[in-house]
Amino acid sequence: MDEEVTLRPCNLADVDDLYEYASDDKVSAWCRWDTYTNKEDLLNYMKTCMIPHPWMRVICYRGRPVGSISVTPYTGADRCRAELGYVLASQYWGKGIATKAVKLTMETVFKDLKDLERVEALVDVENFGSQKVLEKSGFTKDGVLRRFWINKGTVRDMILYSFISTDPLV
Amino acid sequence: MNHDQNHQKPKTPTITLRKFTLSDVDSFMSWAADPRVTRFQRRDPYSDPADALAYITTHILPHPWYRAICIDNTPVGSISIKPAPGEDRHRASIGYRLAYDYWGKGIATEALKLTIKAAFEELDDLERLEAIADVDNPASQRVLEKAGFKEEGILRKYVRLKGETRDMVMFSFLVSEF
Repeated sequence: MDEEVTLRPCNLADVDDLYEYASDDKVSAWCRWDTYTNKEDLLNYMKTCMIPHPWMRVICYRGRPVGSISVTPYTGADRCRAELGYVLASQYWGKGIATKAVKLTMETVFKDLKDLERVEALVDVENFGSQKVLEKSGFTKDGVLRRFWINKGTVRDMILYSFISTDPLV
Repeated sequence: MNHDQNHQKPKTPTITLRKFTLSDVDSFMSWAADPRVTRFQRRDPYSDPADALAYITTHILPHPWYRAICIDNTPVGSISIKPAPGEDRHRASIGYRLAYDYWGKGIATEALKLTIKAAFEELDDLERLEAIADVDNPASQRVLEKAGFKEEGILRKYVRLKGETRDMVMFSFLVSEF
């Protein structure tokens, strides 16, 4: 299975494949974005955000795009840290694909992004699937940030995970 | 004379919070020019009052919530609230600085308590106040704890400070605790 998960940069031709999960309520539930209802909006997001992004990859399973993963650095004095985010089509959940994608990311991101020393991820306290992905990928739980994040109108407690440049790859 | 006075802890002087004015620049320099105070800040100490005046003008005066911590109306420090960006308006972070001669008297704790009250009363929808303190700054961690903040965890390699990447302790105070 390991060899079957690969990462590559996004291109506009991926829109049809990415739309499969972008239009899925199950997938958008944990994310700030609303479920996409048309491909033009998704194409626009790909053009303005995904393609120019400092570190964004499409997650491929057996060569086919099934998700995406990104590491977004902060600026100025905070440029030593960046936020990890990932999304995966729901029919591919539970197979270890997201975990493999995170591991592949951590193998190169500290070399790819200058000044980066800390990758962090925020996960809803009830998003157990995503918590497992990070724990299996070698992330450490820093703590629970209470009433931290508004998602779709509701204030949520979030777990903050981190992986620093000297942490061991798993 | 009260013989017990020698055995009591010195009382915290009465402190008030107010907005800054340009005429506070000399008071401002009493902490902003001191490397002992700026040690855990991103900025270096000010050496030129003109730079301090520019900072007061461009950053402090237009700031959404920035107050002078005063004793007898004279600023001895400052405290500010910064709402989180974007959608997270329910969350804001607090920062404070105090002139060195006024450390150890409970002044920062008192200023923080006044600020917590003002924040939850004045800022619509506020649910969470947060603050971070360097792992090597136990004095500031104590201030937050005494004011009722709860430690949530240690954030490793969180921020660059004067050429070094630092671990920070995250604290929060929720509206439900107010």
